[in-house]
Amino acid sequence: MSMNAVSKQPVATMLAPAVILIGVFIFVPMLLTIWLSFHQWSSQTGFNTAEFVGLRNYEDIFGPLSVGRDFKRAFTNTAIYTALSVVIILPLSVLLGLLVYQRRVRGGTFLRTVLFATYMVPMIAVALVWSKLYSPTEGPINQILAVIGIGEQPWLSSPDTALVSIVILNVWQQVGYFTVLAIAGLTQIPPSLYEAARIDGANAIQEFFGVTLPLLRRTLLFSAVIAVINAVQVFEPVALITQGGPAGATNVLTYHIRRVGIERAQGGIGSAMAVMLMLSLIVVIIALFAFARKGNEE
Amino acid sequence: MKTPTTMIATGMLAAALMNSTAFAEPVELSYLTHWAPDTVALLEDAAADFAESNPDVSVSVRAVPFGDLLTTIRAGGGTTIAGIYDLWLPELVRDGLVEAAPDAVSSEVNEAWPAGIAAAASVDGTVYGIPNEINVYALNYNKALFEEAGLDGPPATWAELEAAAAAITDAEAGRQGFGLINSWAAGVVHPFSSLLVSNGGSLVVDGKPALDTDAAGETFALYETMVEKGYTVPAMGTADANTTGPFLDNFVSGNTGMIIMANWWESALKAGMGDAFENIATAPIPVGPSGDTARSISYSWLTVVNAGASDAEREAAWAFLDWLNSPESGENGASAMSGILMSMGILPSRASDVTAYEGDLDRDFLAGYVSVLENATAFPVVLGGQEFTEALQQTIEALEYGQVSAEEAQANAQADATAILERAQR
Repeated sequence: MSMNAVSKQPVATMLAPAVILIGVFIFVPMLLTIWLSFHQWSSQTGFNTAEFVGLRNYEDIFGPLSVGRDFKRAFTNTAIYTALSVVIILPLSVLLGLLVYQRRVRGGTFLRTVLFATYMVPMIAVALVWSKLYSPTEGPINQILAVIGIGEQPWLSSPDTALVSIVILNVWQQVGYFTVLAIAGLTQIPPSLYEAARIDGANAIQEFFGVTLPLLRRTLLFSAVIAVINAVQVFEPVALITQGGPAGATNVLTYHIRRVGIERAQGGIGSAMAVMLMLSLIVVIIALFAFARKGNEE
Repeated sequence: MKTPTTMIATGMLAAALMNSTAFAEPVELSYLTHWAPDTVALLEDAAADFAESNPDVSVSVRAVPFGDLLTTIRAGGGTTIAGIYDLWLPELVRDGLVEAAPDAVSSEVNEAWPAGIAAAASVDGTVYGIPNEINVYALNYNKALFEEAGLDGPPATWAELEAAAAAITDAEAGRQGFGLINSWAAGVVHPFSSLLVSNGGSLVVDGKPALDTDAAGETFALYETMVEKGYTVPAMGTADANTTGPFLDNFVSGNTGMIIMANWWESALKAGMGDAFENIATAPIPVGPSGDTARSISYSWLTVVNAGASDAEREAAWAFLDWLNSPESGENGASAMSGILMSMGILPSRASDVTAYEGDLDRDFLAGYVSVLENATAFPVVLGGQEFTEALQQTIEALEYGQVSAEEAQANAQADATAILERAQR
């Protein structure tokens, strides 16, 4: 027996449990979903009842009829929701992180606690409260807007504003978590770099763009990946508040896949939608890493 | 009045069930519903009554929002009994999720319920559940707003509906003449279907969608007109997962003059309006230009038993359901189930229950609904029915929000329905 074989055996033994667990609980379901996407299958019956239909499920979800229209709408809604959430949450978390991180600001710890508290509130409570806050006629938000002369907003009642309203709710709940991540990133920046920048005559804005932002890149990349994954998986506010309406304006992919795959038991079509969601997520995450790598190289 | 045959059958069934309810070991049943907490409490009381004579059987009631009901049933979740909307039955049967009723229960359903209601609880002639409620759609209107607008009575035709909506609408005061619901499939499609049948049309004829008819085109056009003229404000009609929300708030607040809804929302109106509920009246669905008489849509609910439950659970479940829906469980010859339903303003469907509650059904609000039952058409219960309903909902909402024209909505609705019903048959 060679030395290599001897040294590899314990490594394989040690890796086996993790590999088997990942294989069983991650890769097998993924492969099964891909396999089912080429079949007509009622999700209430065994896999042995699945009937091969080739690309028909994919033709249906990209077709002009309701199956296709609803999927494309849900896909677009998810993309808009994700983009808006990430674009708002990341800068806001850095801004709040900078404010809270200032050691000179009194009550910084209290502020951090308050910001993070929103992340710990159960979504069912958030949904109940926000659906009342958004009420067009009796909601406090519109009443406050009326005091400052802004007219009644339809919020969740109009296809033009419903998705944005859900994004605002998401930002409110998630920004505290990402602020904590930003603060963790800020603590890793050596104070000597700021001192050096100040000696060179840099003002606060130059310090931010010259020192803080470049050194926060890794934190921001991690935050962006987590924010994208969280946003793509949005389900609870839609299920609890809007049910995908009005006029499909808040119908996002996870909610739609649940409706198709479980409520209608169309496991094949639901799987095809899930595969498209998975592929899109992979593409976005790879693009984010590529963007970050390009930034590092520059 | 019960016929001798029915009485004998009931007696035999009761005797059979008396024998079958002696269980070898305690049985715990789980009853899934979407009812509100106060109604759940009534069901729990009935279960406690049943447990007095069946100490080995306990029933726990689990309530979920209406929007989660079908998913919860399909997910299993250890439910023995579930209350379901009849539209869901064909697919639940196809997927083997619900058990066929025992012969004794099946005979009882066919004898004690009107034929149409029993048929809605059956697939291919086999009974799968015990029907309980029937709901029918009618026009609810606010008499105070009508009086204020100088209107004598409810509209009988679409032209009068439009005129009444115009008279009541006051955009500056945030008031719409005619309310349409959105974000809830049945809340969107059932009122549309009621107007369609009152215009001489149908959703489905001989298993094929019939949304390409002139009658359907006129119904889509009515929606377009109502919105374009500002008589209907879609943003005031949003519903939430509990089938409440702005559409209800606006009607109880007097911001909506008329709305087409089913009888079951009486309890919600009473809770929201208090004394002002006396302003609410019920009228038949206005007749369209192609219609000849006021018609409407009806649908029913039934309780089914999980085919995946154990033998003992299924046996106990049928025994409990049969008792719950029998004249022996309630007061004055009515079933306990009908008492629960009447507490919500819901019409019971068993013939003996209708007789027992004859006096209560005369009250103003419900009498309007009872009067339209005669000309009500059952909402089509077909394979693919739920998807068909959701697709039509999306099309109608797109029309309401100005995303498509009436012509486009009609073309989309017919094409979608054709594809959905064909796929469901594969």
